[in-house]
This record gives sequence, structure tokens and C-alpha cells, in this order.
Amino acid sequence: MTRHAQLNNIDHKDLRIDTRRSATLGDDVAFAATFPAEFRDLQAYYPIVFRKDANGTLSPVALLGFQEGHNLFLDGERWDAAYLPLAIERNPFLIGRGGEEVTVHIDLDSPRVRNDAGEPLFREHGGNTEYLDRIASVLLTLHNGLQRVPAFIDALLARELLESFVLDIELDDGSVNRLAGYYTINEDRLRALDAAALGELHAAGYLEPVFMAVASASNFRDLIERMNRSRAGGR
Amino acid sequence: MRQGVDQPIKHVVILGGGSAGWLTAAVLAAEHNTASGSGLRITLIESPEVATVGVGEGTWPTMRDTLRRTGVSETDFIRECDAAFKQGSKFVRWREEVDGDYYHHPFVLPPGFLETHLAAGWMAHPDVPFSMLTCFQAHLCEAGKAPKQFATPEWAAVANYSYHLDAAKLGVFMRKHCVEKLGVRHVADHMVGIDTHDNGDIAALRTREHGAIAGDLFVDCSGMRALLIGQHYGIEIESQKDVLFNDRAIATRVPYADRTVEIACQTISTAQEAGWIWDIGLQSRRGIGHVYSSAHTSDEAAEAALRRYIVATGGREQDIDTLPKIMIRPGFRRGGWHRNCVAIGLSSGFMEPLEASSLAMVELAAGMLADQMPATRAAMDIVSRRYNDTFSYRWDRIVDFLKLHYVLSKRDDSEYWRDNRRPETIPGRLRELLELWRHQPPSRYDLNRVEEVFPSASYQFILYGMGFMPGERPTTRRMDDVARAEGFFRESAEMARRMLAALPGHREMLDHVNTRGMPRI
Repeated sequence: MTRHAQLNNIDHKDLRIDTRRSATLGDDVAFAATFPAEFRDLQAYYPIVFRKDANGTLSPVALLGFQEGHNLFLDGERWDAAYLPLAIERNPFLIGRGGEEVTVHIDLDSPRVRNDAGEPLFREHGGNTEYLDRIASVLLTLHNGLQRVPAFIDALLARELLESFVLDIELDDGSVNRLAGYYTINEDRLRALDAAALGELHAAGYLEPVFMAVASASNFRDLIERMNRSRAGGR
Repeated sequence: MRQGVDQPIKHVVILGGGSAGWLTAAVLAAEHNTASGSGLRITLIESPEVATVGVGEGTWPTMRDTLRRTGVSETDFIRECDAAFKQGSKFVRWREEVDGDYYHHPFVLPPGFLETHLAAGWMAHPDVPFSMLTCFQAHLCEAGKAPKQFATPEWAAVANYSYHLDAAKLGVFMRKHCVEKLGVRHVADHMVGIDTHDNGDIAALRTREHGAIAGDLFVDCSGMRALLIGQHYGIEIESQKDVLFNDRAIATRVPYADRTVEIACQTISTAQEAGWIWDIGLQSRRGIGHVYSSAHTSDEAAEAALRRYIVATGGREQDIDTLPKIMIRPGFRRGGWHRNCVAIGLSSGFMEPLEASSLAMVELAAGMLADQMPATRAAMDIVSRRYNDTFSYRWDRIVDFLKLHYVLSKRDDSEYWRDNRRPETIPGRLRELLELWRHQPPSRYDLNRVEEVFPSASYQFILYGMGFMPGERPTTRRMDDVARAEGFFRESAEMARRMLAALPGHREMLDHVNTRGMPRI
């Protein structure tokens, strides 16, 4: 269940946040929502693909695993990559509306929210801790970034730069699995774009993320290796 | 004016707008790079004084691909043409004049159709309708489900579907696309004369304000008037009135009582004393009409029966908007392509709209013309002979297929039904097929050309839907495998269960398309 509350330094003065990365704390997810400006940080570690929601709306995600609820970057209680996607880092916080402004909200029902141990949110006299300042910055970046996603997707669709794909994976143990339901950059169409189209994408700030997404495809190999290790390790 | 045999074909002139004219223009222009300037030039002359026929609202699943290839968006099409999803037809009271008599003709190929004779398995369930046993789509229609989900991309289907659409709006929609995106030249003018070459070819169409519009190939989309193929060239209609008797139609438009009324998932065709009533559900209204034989009933009786039907199915008398009566000469022109003039649409022929074959034939004609467009005048004679042969065959198959709906009826309530069963009204080919079908189901051997108008599965749905019981062969064969068929029936039932749970309602899906659109991929 979720119970959202606007964060304040009176009701939530003594709360602490368990920032460990772990399945029991909700990190066992197969993908993390992302946005174009984050692509350059993600592309070194994660395949960047696109998925549809129930309405058929496309959005970009960092792929963390091949099966629902199985995050291949979780190693005990650490995150096995140098960059942590913002959509993961921000838990259990979210942006909400406090009157006219956007403000930090917290999900009080999250298992990360504790009274005894973990990162404190507020200092003795009510000011933010560095951790909370970091969270506020993460949330704002995420919020602004996600707002730009629909226009980015529209621009890709208008130039037919997205296509559905299926990945058939043969693991070391001989099993064959299929990753389906995701979309990727159509590289043939990308290569065929003329100077005018490339210029438009560049002016809109979309050219760099498109190429970052293309580059990220090389991470599939790493993801498959992680899957192999996880099978061997019995996880 | 002289015409050389090596005359290149560079300019196609289409006479007439409406669905036929604009669909043909779009298919040709998309295929032949008209917008680029280096492709075929296409001009469409549409008279502001001539109205379109006003009906023509049912389509086949081929329409999805036809529209997609012209480059339109399915979301735009559904929004602007008041379109709904059609998942086949439902025939009510065609076998007997009793409450509860109906059968389905869905579009989905039944699971196992190519692998075994499903009818053999059906014989073990004589009280279950063939379509319900073999095909999950019949269940989707009864439950009022849409054939796809919110996340399904444009043009893709979960269950094979076509459309019900507003024909006038389709013309306007395609005209806009043709002119704005495909480079078609629209001349809004009235034709006043025809200029010919020495050899009899058409050289130009003379218009009131725009002078003579010359061309290399002329497409007659002028409707039943058939100004070029009929009036100018005198190519006769070969009448089929002795096979299919219906020669009049009264069409109406009826609004829904309110926004919660279900939109039908199929064309509903209800047999009457001397004809049948079509009921097509668009988003904003129904299109309902009575097709009948003037030799077997009067116009007044037909109109009264139509009004009774409308009221009995939730319409209100005061809301009925009646269109001008349509006179039908059931028949077609075997020589639909004569010299450098080809007829597409009602100008090529017309039979009663029992299976929405008119727009399907427009698609097939425009498609073949686009694919086989001759490069020179010399090539044109070769292509036109091939075209006429192909469409002559297709028209004959339409006659057979429509007649099939009548010959097996048990209705005895009027001369019309008895007359429809008289052997002299049944084409020889259909009689032969019925004889064969006593011991083998309709198959690709019966319909053996590429791109048939109706697939053999459709013949099975009508044949067995009308209650035709196959007889026992004197010897057994592997394809009559009851156990194998049962397996497929279970598969179909399982698919029905899953889809009923996963698919949105018809209206729900249309509302979603109107507000959120369909994903492009």
C-alpha cells in the first residue's frame, strides 16, 4: 500500500531512510523509468529501450533484467553498477503538489521509512540534511526530465525512429528465453535521415539521447552474462 | 488526334469523387509517386452538382491494408469517418422465419481450418452453431467486444476486423489526404463533353470552367450513371436479375437513443418477406436500409417493414432520416476496361450489399490497376484483357456467394423465398459446388485463384450457418478427423475465454481512439 505525505520537518523530524539496495526494500524491478537527459549516464551500463503502458503510450526505460520482478543488478545489498538510475535512487520519495509549488512527498508505507536506523532527513534545528538536499535535486531532475518524454517520443514516432524488437537469448544452461514487448531505435531509419531531419532533432536536443540509446544496446551482452551468473548462482 | 502505341501513360484522369474515386486516386497516387513529381500525374474531376449515392458503409478486412498503404493514420480515419469496428456479419431469420434464428459470418479464420475438416467435428454437435463452435470471434461479437486493445498499434488486430464507415465522410477524408499529401489535382467542375482520338480512345474530358482535361487513362467513377463506360462507350450491364431478384433499396439514418446504447460489432442482416434489412452501427448513428424485389412486394410495404424494424430495434419514428430511393440493376459489366477507360465502383456494376462486396471490389480494382498500370498504350490492351478476365471471374463469384445465402433457406412465407430456390435461378457453377459440398467442405480447390473476393472459410460459414448438413462419404478419410476437430474447438473456446477477459468493449475502444488515439507502433 502507499501512503503519501508532503514532507515537513515537524511530523517527519525523526524519520530515517534505509538506503540499502535490496529486493526486500522494493528494488527487484526489471526496468526503471528514465528520460532523455539521463541517457548519457545510463548508456554505459544499461540497455535503454522503450515500453508501452496499458494505453499504448511509449516511454523510455533502463532495462535491469529480462524477467518481471528480477533485477540483475542487485547483488546482495549492493547495486552492481557505478551509476544508479534516478528513478531507483529517489525511493521512497516522489514529487507532489503542495498548493502552487512542487514539493517533496514521501511514501510513509515504504519499508525504507524507519525510526531507528538509516539516513536522517532533518538536522537538529529543522534544516535539510545533505541527503535530503540530494533527494530534492534528484526529484526535480526526474520531474523535469519526465515532462520532456512525450515530446521526445512524438518526435521519434514522427520520423519512424522506433521499432518493436524481440531478443531470443540462449543461456549457458541451454535454455532459450525471449524478451518481447519492447521497442528500440530503428537504426536503418536513423542512418537514412537527411541533414534537415538531423538538424531538427539536434535543435530539439534529441540527437544526443538517440545516439546514446543506440550505444546502450551493447549492454545486452552484459545483461545476458548477468543472467548466466544468476542462473549458475541459483538466484 | 492520333494515338501512338508507344504513347507513354503519364496522366490518369478520374471522373467522379465519392468513395470509389478518392480511394482509387489515393491508391494510385501512393503507389505511383504522384507527390514526387516524377510519378504518374493524377487528376480527379468531381462535379459539385452530382451527389454521391449516400450509402456504402460496410467493408472487408482488406480495407485496413488499403488505407494503411495510402499513408493515412487509422486514428484520423476512425475519428473523421464516424467509423466503428466490424467483425463480420450476422444473418437473422434467413433460414427460418422464427425468433432466435441467426448465424454468424466472422472474419477470423477458425483455428485448424487448414489442417482438418472442421465440419466433420461439428456434426457431433448439431445443436451448436458452426460459427460459435469453431470461431472465437462469434463470441466476441455477442459480448460486444472490440477487436483490439488500447495498446494495439494502428492497423494491427487482435481479432481480424474491418470497418463500418460513413461513405460520404470517407470521400471527404480521402480527398483531403489526396490533395494535401499525395499530390492529386482536384478539379471541382462538371463534365460537359468528351473528346476522342481517331482510334476511339478518349482524348480529354471537357469541363465547364476548366476546359478540356486531357489524359492517357480515364477511370470512370461516376457511379450508376457510368458516363464513360456506359453512356459513351455503350458497354452493357449483364443483368443478374434472374438470379438475385432485389432491385430497390430504401436507406435511412437513425440516431442512437443515447450514448450508452451498444454499437453493434457486425453488420446485421435481417431477412424479410421479399428482401432483407441491413443495420450498420457507426459511432454516431445507425445506417439501416431495406433491399427488396419490386416484383415481390410494393414500395409501401417495404417502407412499412423498414419502419417497423427501426422501431423494434430501439429507433424512434420521428428520428428517421430517409435518403432518396435507390434503383438497383443487379448486374455488372464484363468489359469494365474498354480501350483507355476503366470503370471502378458502381459504374462497373452492383449487386445487393449483402456481403459488403462493393467497396471490396473498389479496393481490388484500384489495387490491380496500381500494381499493373501499363507503361504504354500498347501494354494497356494486354493489361485490360487480363483485368477484364480477372474481374469477370470475381463478379461471377460474388453472384454465386450471394445466391448461396438464399438457396438453402427453408423460409416458405412468400413467393420470394420459394422463387429463390427454383433451380433455373441458381447458377450452374453454384449447383455443382453444392453437389460437391455434400461430401467435402468448401476449400481452396473451389476458389482457386489468387486474391479471391471471398475466402473458402466464408463459404463454410454461410453453408453451415444456413444449416447445410454434409452427408457421409462412402469411405473414410484422414481429413475427417473428429477428435482432431474437437481439439481445435477446445482451442477456440480457450481463445474466446482469454479474449473476452482481455478486450475492451466496442464503445469503450472507440471512445479511447477518439480521446487518446491509437499508438503508431
